[in-house]
Amino acid sequence: MQEKLTTLAEAIARVDNGNVVALQNMATQAAPMGLVRELIRQEKRGLGLVVLVGGLAVDWLAAAGVIDRLIGAAVSMEQFGLCQQYRQAVENGRIRVEEISETILNARLGAGARNLPFLPTRGGIGSDLIALNPDNLKMLSDPFGGFPVLACRALVPDVALIHAHRADRFGNIQYEPTVLWPDIGIMPKAAKRVIVSAEEIVDSEILRRHPDHTILPGFMVDAVVEVPYGAHPTSFPPNYGYDSRFHLDWVAVSRDRGNSAAFIEHYVRQPETQQEYLEIVGGQKTLDRICCWEEDQ
Amino acid sequence: MRDCWQNSPASTDYTVDELMVTVLADQFRNGDQTTNGMASFIPVAAFMLARLTHAPELVWLASSGGLEPRPDRIPASTLEAPLWRDSIMYIEQYNDFWNFALNGRWIEKFCVGAAQLDQYGNANNSVIGDDYHAPKVRLPGTAGLADMGSIGKKLYYWNPNHSPRSMVEKVDFISAAGYLNGGDARQRLGLQGGPELVVSDLAVMDFHSASKRMRLRSIHPGTTVEQVRKATGFELLMPEGTMPETRPPSKEQVKIIRERIDPDNMRKREFRHRT
Repeated sequence: MQEKLTTLAEAIARVDNGNVVALQNMATQAAPMGLVRELIRQEKRGLGLVVLVGGLAVDWLAAAGVIDRLIGAAVSMEQFGLCQQYRQAVENGRIRVEEISETILNARLGAGARNLPFLPTRGGIGSDLIALNPDNLKMLSDPFGGFPVLACRALVPDVALIHAHRADRFGNIQYEPTVLWPDIGIMPKAAKRVIVSAEEIVDSEILRRHPDHTILPGFMVDAVVEVPYGAHPTSFPPNYGYDSRFHLDWVAVSRDRGNSAAFIEHYVRQPETQQEYLEIVGGQKTLDRICCWEEDQ
Repeated sequence: MRDCWQNSPASTDYTVDELMVTVLADQFRNGDQTTNGMASFIPVAAFMLARLTHAPELVWLASSGGLEPRPDRIPASTLEAPLWRDSIMYIEQYNDFWNFALNGRWIEKFCVGAAQLDQYGNANNSVIGDDYHAPKVRLPGTAGLADMGSIGKKLYYWNPNHSPRSMVEKVDFISAAGYLNGGDARQRLGLQGGPELVVSDLAVMDFHSASKRMRLRSIHPGTTVEQVRKATGFELLMPEGTMPETRPPSKEQVKIIRERIDPDNMRKREFRHRT
């Protein structure tokens, strides 16, 4: 089997400026934050982002000027509110949004994964999303005589960025049984290249004990990196919860461009390794706090 | 516990969040199935109340992923793991969830919160302003609402801030299809279901069966029709005869909400504008 284990820097060097990047993320869940920080550190430009629901990662990528378009269903940090840097960038026209619903995104990625020109859904019919996006969404009469359906054009991202519980050096990826976050199922199968960060890299023999936990085969994965607590400050059940203090710290500065830039300088550009990052965000005390799902309000 | 709530006298010290929870809970019956998305404290409290009182067999898929959970109280997020504690099944939140939801047979009722709602029950959670690509306010986005609006679900809107800004004649953007421009507009597109009820902090509204325009169904105790009219950005249809008053929560319902379901008052977070 081919060796896929590499470093954050080398993995993210595979993302080219202008690429369409599919990012695993929910409001405060399961974002591959180590990979996201490296996109900012390498000063990528002109990326298009595909998200189901984006959170703090999208706010950072917007603040750092990495992305100029977004294809997705929503961007929000739920209890921590709207992503203010993203919001300002959209309101000022620096980021263009191609808003689609959850089933439309699923149909577009599903068509991409299966090498089809499109897949249909009934979701979104009657909404303004269709007129907004005439290049990729068209009403289609049912060849079998029923009501029209919405044809959703195939979407093939250049890269998918994923975070997982464990992997071996050959890129076989395992996920612990949990509520499976959405993007893991379809994004890597639609994308041309797949980059995975994992909580731990283990011997293949350990994966073989639970082959039912393996969700992606090594042949589908281009690069795998060990990034412990690699989803911080988002949650990664069952391992750890979201860091509410860190989210609140970001919310406190995120309305202001200068303060946001200083925050990103401190937490993203300065730490050179994941260990340094984990120290800067509070070290063992923070890790203990998120591991017991403590919620600050 | 399950019986005494029905004979319990009306509460005299309930707050409007508790009233909204009990009105929503009334819409859910044994055998119904429902689910919740993010930042949905009022619906989650309503599902938990229904399950503890009149509808113990209401099926609840928490956060679109954890079936029949047993959270010990409402946590700070309605999407995170503390809500789906002790589930009997995990459902893959995306593809598999929509396999359940798109199929018309299951999960027939859904609660929707939106920034703007119009007289035909169309909902906007996308942008405020005329220019989609340079909006005055970029809102979170449609997420799954655009799907729920078009796939035959019965929609129950909750609005903790009934005002001319949230109740508008025409939404700036249709993120989720309600009755579109009224009448049989939904049927012509082949869409089943649609908005059933709007529960706000002032009143309960439904939709006229033919015109599909929003109609006042009852006003909350202490509220006047004039107050509701002034807080609504379009002309509400009025019910025939005397104006019904929304039934207040019972003492037992309030006790269950405060002590068992939501001792941390998460449901009140949706009403921050009032304080």
